[in-house]
Amino acid sequence: MNQLSTSQRVFRGVLLGLVILFFMFPIFWIFLMSFQTNEQILRIPPSIFFEPTLINYQALITGRLETQAGNLDIAFMENLWNSVFLSSSAVLLSLVLGVPAAYAFARYRFRLGEDIAFTILSFRFAPPLLVLLPLTLYFEDIGLSNTYTGLIWVYQLISLPLILWIVRGYFEDISPDIESAYRLAGHSWLQTFLKISIPLARPGIAAAGLLSFIFAWNNFVFALVLASADKQPVTVGALAFVTASGIQYGQIAAGIVLSVTPTLLLALYAQRYLVEGLSLGAVKG
Amino acid sequence: MSDKAKSLFEAYAAGKMSRRELLTKTAQLGVAFGAANLMLNKASTDLLAADFNWKAHQGKSLKLLLNKHPYVDAMIANLENFKSLTGMNITYDVFPEDVYFDKVTAALSSRSSEYDAFMTGAYMTWTYGPAGWIEDLNAWIKDSSKTAPNYNWEDMLPGLRASTAWNGVPGGELGSADAKQWCLPWGYELNNVAYNRNMFKKAGVEPPKNMEDMVNVAAKLQRDLGGPYGIGVRGSRSWATIHPGFLSAYANYGQKDFTVSGGKLKAAMNTKASKDFHELWVKMIQDSGAKNWSTHTWYQVGTDLGAGASAMIFDADILGYFMNGGDNKEAGNIGYAPFAANPNASAPTPNVWIWSLAMSSFSKQKDAAWYFIQWASSGDHGMFGARKMDFVNPVRQSVWDDSEFRSRINESYPGYLNQHDLSAPGAKIYFTAQPLFFDLTTQWAETLQKMVAKSVPVDEGLDQLASSIDRQLRDAGLG
Amino acid sequence: MSSTSSALAAPKSGRLRKKILPYLLSLPALLVCIGILIPFFTAVYYSMMRFRLNLPYLKGFIWFDNYINFLSDPAFWNTVQISLLYAFLTVGLELLLGLGIAVLLQQPSKFNNIVSVLLLLPLMTAPALASLMWKLMTNPNFGILSYLVSLLGFSDFKWASDPSTALLTVVLVDIWVYTPFIMILLLAGLRSLPKQPFEAAALDGVPQSFIFFRITLPMLMPYLLTATLFRLLESIQQFDIIYSMTQGGPGDQLMVFQVQAYLEFFQYTNVGRSTALLMVLWAITFALSNVFIKQWLRLRERTHGNG
Repeated sequence: MNQLSTSQRVFRGVLLGLVILFFMFPIFWIFLMSFQTNEQILRIPPSIFFEPTLINYQALITGRLETQAGNLDIAFMENLWNSVFLSSSAVLLSLVLGVPAAYAFARYRFRLGEDIAFTILSFRFAPPLLVLLPLTLYFEDIGLSNTYTGLIWVYQLISLPLILWIVRGYFEDISPDIESAYRLAGHSWLQTFLKISIPLARPGIAAAGLLSFIFAWNNFVFALVLASADKQPVTVGALAFVTASGIQYGQIAAGIVLSVTPTLLLALYAQRYLVEGLSLGAVKG
Repeated sequence: MSDKAKSLFEAYAAGKMSRRELLTKTAQLGVAFGAANLMLNKASTDLLAADFNWKAHQGKSLKLLLNKHPYVDAMIANLENFKSLTGMNITYDVFPEDVYFDKVTAALSSRSSEYDAFMTGAYMTWTYGPAGWIEDLNAWIKDSSKTAPNYNWEDMLPGLRASTAWNGVPGGELGSADAKQWCLPWGYELNNVAYNRNMFKKAGVEPPKNMEDMVNVAAKLQRDLGGPYGIGVRGSRSWATIHPGFLSAYANYGQKDFTVSGGKLKAAMNTKASKDFHELWVKMIQDSGAKNWSTHTWYQVGTDLGAGASAMIFDADILGYFMNGGDNKEAGNIGYAPFAANPNASAPTPNVWIWSLAMSSFSKQKDAAWYFIQWASSGDHGMFGARKMDFVNPVRQSVWDDSEFRSRINESYPGYLNQHDLSAPGAKIYFTAQPLFFDLTTQWAETLQKMVAKSVPVDEGLDQLASSIDRQLRDAGLG
Repeated sequence: MSSTSSALAAPKSGRLRKKILPYLLSLPALLVCIGILIPFFTAVYYSMMRFRLNLPYLKGFIWFDNYINFLSDPAFWNTVQISLLYAFLTVGLELLLGLGIAVLLQQPSKFNNIVSVLLLLPLMTAPALASLMWKLMTNPNFGILSYLVSLLGFSDFKWASDPSTALLTVVLVDIWVYTPFIMILLLAGLRSLPKQPFEAAALDGVPQSFIFFRITLPMLMPYLLTATLFRLLESIQQFDIIYSMTQGGPGDQLMVFQVQAYLEFFQYTNVGRSTALLMVLWAITFALSNVFIKQWLRLRERTHGNG
């Protein structure tokens, strides 16, 4: 790949530029909007020049929006906290359950193995609404409605199959020979699993964990249907800016920026492991 | 502020208030914006307490399910008065309007006892009532041991009282003698024209007098203003596209959605007069409606008027009201006009949206819930909301007659009272109450979209719609 | 714990351990999910009922009538058609784009790594909110995209509001949101490929296109299949983007399964019809994923069989 000609280099550069433009422009525009008042956003035609204001962030963070029409209470920060709590708990639980299972499916052939794997995946086939509707009735009966526990459990529908199937692929790419060598050196199975297998699959685990975190974060129908207002994530919270006196685009934009930040930080952190993916090539059979 | 604080201390001195109460109330003066208004209203709440035992459910706690709305803001601002009046506690869940009714359906269909009372629209009770999720409130209104003598149910605008009462029979007349009161009107909106006065002046036009005039005025505005479009109406694929301006104009021609005979329903959208009206409406949108009409919900209609992207709207009057304030670009420029589509009609016939309060059948403390519903729909709270907050449009005649409210509105919203007063007598729900309301009305909107996009001619589209609706009615045993 | 595992590791019980271990490892995950089966079967039962919450007196078991009614319902076939079209369009385009971007970013450099994370931003923006923003950006009055497009001479481009461009617009938003998902999976896959075959091919002077199609792609296949499978499952069940942008309109242009089923339940309270629709959707996704997983397993047999 080092012997790229100049024209190829330019071509690649242009392509990458277009890609960044397409994917980043809306984000950039949302970012700009978050520093504008509604009046500035709703200009005809739209303009890139404006006097930036922090009013949207101020409203979200202090929880009070002061307009001429009156004051609005905003529970955005609570919503944000709910999102952080629900998504991370759901993903952690999925990792604890899913990584060992993924390993089992990757390493062993066992009776019903593929069936179990497929069954777990098949929870992903079920349209969320299909299970959600009867689930509201059962949750009412077993006392799980309007609890974080109930929500985290239902979130497994989103995160567990994703983690399981992605991590499984990574485990399959790790040669069993490395594990055997370590085992032969007198280490137990558990030690091998924790010290060798998991670290080797780390890029896969990081990517799967990150993606399922994002999907859990973006969900809103589960919490909406199953829990009361104090447990709603940002996705529901941000819709509160559609108000009778106009839709508050500035606040929605600021809400998006704030809600994306934790995930972005997580992604920047996990990116180190994604890079380590390369070292995996060295150990492959 | 200091005056109000002073009166607090006076009340304390007169022995009307405990020291602790005084301390908390003065603290509220400093922080909560509603507190000042709260104090003003305290005196009349005491009046309300006169000869009725408001403390009957002291110590109980209710939970409400509410939509994010100025009415709710007004209620919350006044809530301390309810608490001190009754000794009850209130908690509430407020959800954004975009997802509010999904939350209501989810909560009620799972028979959750979490919420005792909730906000609803009248149309929704055509589902909730037959499903057995809400109570017939007549049982409480008519019980003098449970309702304060000065509640004055008759003070509610008659069109609204009737529109929230239905006997549950498909096609049954709203407000009939055997009707059940599924919910109580809380605040309402009727549909009229709200327009940008500057733009109208610039184009040299007057608010339209009838449907044909509206088509022409909208076209002229679009032509002459060079930028803004002529008229904003809803167009998204939803029942909500049919119920505001569209149905108000439709009803003005004496047209119906269904005919009812012998307990059977039959679609009535494909009469000659209906087709003519649809032609006009479709042409108006094609010529001078928003380019993105087919995705327009109420808030796009409102936003466009407020930001000067449209010259007028034919939608809820309170939408025009809210666009005349806040940080909208055109705040202060909005005018209001009553609108009768049919040149031969004597008065406007606006269809109405009624935000109402209903009681959950799964509530475990219905009498207590009634105390809240009763208080929130009382003239007293209505007066507070109308004078001090954006609790418009009030549902009680006594509030509309209030001079303080009238002068406040007249000052900041010229023409608003006039459009309301002229239209209110004819304001009611013009739909036929029946359980397939949402399916069939959404399909109507879908057909309208197809007609505007010219993928089906008006004539043919309406015939197809009518026959499809008749089939669905038959399948459900209604037609 | 450690004593148990070392006991299990003893050579004597090795065979037993090998038998039980996989179950020990995988069953907790299964058990957590199994609770979902109960509501699932309830839904199957509902789908065989005439069950409309606001017409309680009509409630009754009707076997497969809900399904049979679909057969003669043009609206249903429109839903099937549009859902499949949407899924194949979005997943196909996202695969191509995602693969292309992953290849562009394959070389590990600081710049490429940062770009790959930044490209995840659209995915992190919840589709329900992202759609609100796209709706604003494509607004004919205030929308920056409408404005830019009008500068290019398309002053009458109506985006999601016109039947002829509505599908295009929601597909565009879907691509914007979900391409990063495929990109990141394939990038992780590309970077984990062994170096030797590529070095050998480069030494032999094999043309790059040959390397890409004959070495890279086949080796990437497991990742491609996983990414496609998950994206396909999501895409055929698309709700957020379409509902917030057009509510399924204009007309019935974008009336996909989930939007229709959502309306049937939450607005029309027609539980029977709603669950029957969702069961059909479930069957379609089941069939599609079966195909994929068979492929995936076959591939796995091949690579691992040889090695």
